[in-house]
Amino acid sequence: MKNEEILQKLEKIVGKDYASNREEELFIYSQDPGASLPRPVDFVVMPSKAEEVQEIVKLANQEKIPIIPMGGGLTLSGLIIPIKGGIVIDMKRMNNIIEINEFSKYALIEAGVTTGQLLSFLSNNYPDLQPPVPDAPPSATVAGNVLIHGSGYLSQKYGDHANMINGLEVVLPNGDLCKLGSCAVSDYWFTRGPIPDLIGLFTSSFGTMGIVTKLSIQLFDRPNYREVVFGLMQDPENLPNILSELTKTGLAEDVLLGMQDKPDWMKGYVFIIAYVTGESQEEIDSHIKTFKRIYRKNEARYMKTPERIRSIYLEKPIFAAAAADYRKGGGFEYVGANLPLENIPTAYKRGAEISKKYGIVPTLGSRLIGGTHNIVMFFSYSFNRADPKDMENARNALHETNKLALELGGIPWKSELAGQQLILEKMDPNYKKLFKMIRTTLDPNRIMNPGNWEVK
Amino acid sequence: MGGEIKITLKVEQDWKDIVHRCFRCGYCKFTHEFLDINCPSYKKYKFETYSAGGRLWLIYSLISGELNWSDSIANVLYACPTCGNCTENCRFDKFNDFLVDFIEAARIEAVENGYCPEKQKALIERTTNPKNFNPYGEVNSNNQDLKEKYNLPDNAEWVYYIGCTSNYRQKNLRDATIRFLKKANINFTLIDEHCCCSPIIRTGQISPVKDFINYNIAQIQNSGAKKVITSCAGCYRTIKKDWLKFGIDYDFEVYHTIDLVKKFLDEGKINFKAEFNKRITYHDPCHLGRHMGVYEPPRDVLKKIPGVDLVEMKRNKENAWCCGAGGGVKIGYPEWSVEISGERLEEAKKTNASIVTSVCPFCRTNLSDANEKYNMDFEVIDIIEILDKLDYEIINIE
Repeated sequence: MKNEEILQKLEKIVGKDYASNREEELFIYSQDPGASLPRPVDFVVMPSKAEEVQEIVKLANQEKIPIIPMGGGLTLSGLIIPIKGGIVIDMKRMNNIIEINEFSKYALIEAGVTTGQLLSFLSNNYPDLQPPVPDAPPSATVAGNVLIHGSGYLSQKYGDHANMINGLEVVLPNGDLCKLGSCAVSDYWFTRGPIPDLIGLFTSSFGTMGIVTKLSIQLFDRPNYREVVFGLMQDPENLPNILSELTKTGLAEDVLLGMQDKPDWMKGYVFIIAYVTGESQEEIDSHIKTFKRIYRKNEARYMKTPERIRSIYLEKPIFAAAAADYRKGGGFEYVGANLPLENIPTAYKRGAEISKKYGIVPTLGSRLIGGTHNIVMFFSYSFNRADPKDMENARNALHETNKLALELGGIPWKSELAGQQLILEKMDPNYKKLFKMIRTTLDPNRIMNPGNWEVK
Repeated sequence: MGGEIKITLKVEQDWKDIVHRCFRCGYCKFTHEFLDINCPSYKKYKFETYSAGGRLWLIYSLISGELNWSDSIANVLYACPTCGNCTENCRFDKFNDFLVDFIEAARIEAVENGYCPEKQKALIERTTNPKNFNPYGEVNSNNQDLKEKYNLPDNAEWVYYIGCTSNYRQKNLRDATIRFLKKANINFTLIDEHCCCSPIIRTGQISPVKDFINYNIAQIQNSGAKKVITSCAGCYRTIKKDWLKFGIDYDFEVYHTIDLVKKFLDEGKINFKAEFNKRITYHDPCHLGRHMGVYEPPRDVLKKIPGVDLVEMKRNKENAWCCGAGGGVKIGYPEWSVEISGERLEEAKKTNASIVTSVCPFCRTNLSDANEKYNMDFEVIDIIEILDKLDYEIINIE
């Protein structure tokens, strides 16, 4: 079928205004804000309901044309840029907040709901509840974030965001609409089990297994008081101990680390950014006292937080995208590597070395996930979007960092193509065999974001 | 210097050196606290292309040569009311000031490359037509009849710069303003004004702008006036801000009518003899609000009118939803333009107000069009028209 015929069919499915193969749409959707090179797109569509997604998938199967689902398009690692051309499915029209369950504490939402939309909706209508909030800008979708194992506020306490999925509605590669989690059995989207857990197939698989159209995400009680407690230390060597002690208290809502050479006052220190919550100011003061003691004991210093800094860190989400302006170049990308805690000191030292090698100001950070079970570390590289050589430099730094993460026993998060291949090289052969088997069974025509997680 | 410009962006080159700095984080798409989508264009067209970031990336692609001009790309750049809501919510300081400037600069390039859309071309054709000198294609009025009707002098301390929309479309607003100025005993006159050039500046058709500015300045100077007052938010912004961008300075002060009303109220000089017992909501014109930072004076005035129950719409001040008329959208996309106003009136409905007021004849026009089209049953009037309905006197005038 010719492109114009395919466009007509897509227009028939989603409406004329919501399908395009105009040059400007193809250009914008052929890239993301990260350092990946653009790759061509054939069509962009914006469905409004699951049935339309099903129809698109059926058409893609018929025409053997790749489909790539897209949320906010903010992974920075090019996951929504087609590798083999095809149809980018922008999910933003599916933006209904369907249900908030105040007792079982979940939000049932469509896949195009943004994190900003959910945050705002809860603040205005259910002020006692809070959603998990990633560090991504508010235009990131909840679905996009949870499906890549995102993390953010509350992750120290409750684990990563994929862990907070209660249920999914998914369009499978054959066009079937499938429910996963308690919603497969019950009207309540309140839990993931106890039935065989297939939800994992759709997390961090980057749209290769299906297109999520609806999901239930856990919500949490909003505490009355919340405060940030800064500590700083010069030698990262003691980080595993201090983090273990902080989490052992059970008082921290979140714990982040930061190490960067700019602005100058931050150079030479690792900053510990711990959040405490409570029902009263007295409780908060007591928690701060406890944390101060732990800092002192571990050769770290408590830092009284200037109001300006405090308000920046209490904001949800933190304006992490500010990194794109560090060099007035409009670009940054990071390796977010999940690492075992004991290797964090080495990761900080060697991460800074990689930055310096590539002439980029070291900008490193971490977030604890589920206590000290996992720590995601961010090796961030700013670049000038207008300078192709600078972007290439950033890509090289990212690649070297991916190798470092794997060498330290970690796994790069939401990895771009080259990183995925590095992970696959280290992966247990039978894991790969199983993955390939499942994928081939589900998607014999290889239409689902092909090129990602490609087992050779 | 009579106008005000905080930071200037050199249209010739500067913008091309920094436009790539947009990361496309998307903060610009939302109101504060992410209550809603704030960009009329993004809300309508939905493709990322139509977000502020999408436009800036397209503009950079034209500079870098990745894309070439086409009607379709020009359409994306013109399908934006330049309301500036994105500038309020873009988080990149010292970059966010320029988002609207980037769009306007790119439109200049579009015109130079022959890609100005046909409908918008009518603005310059009418404005430069010696019979018109206004974007409505009306026969130019030298305002002599008005001067005679209201017994206005040729030379005066003030010039009331009426603006094309008030003079040719919202005559009641114009007349209400004249009656207010007369009542206030302001020594003012009218000039044979030509368009302030807002519509052609917004649409990138700038070739005759300097001539128009010089003409208007000469007319004002010939009247001997040292102060210019206008009832139009668009003229106000254009005279006070844009004229200076064209390197032309002037030696008169510029006021919006609301400044003068507020001054008299603050000085206790307006003595109301009647109440205006209505629930009113105020719509912030983009040209006065986000573009000039004037939010409180109109509200202060409304609060001081006896009986007025002023209620705010959910999106107000910096977050106010645009009426959809600006940036060439009214002429280029007439139906969509009224849709945007329709959304504003839906928002107004939730306040239970019976009157939607503003201080911009262009907003008044578009909101009235939507009011009629959607049978919304509001009274849409300018604040000066509210005053005009009331029995009041201005006392102790110097």
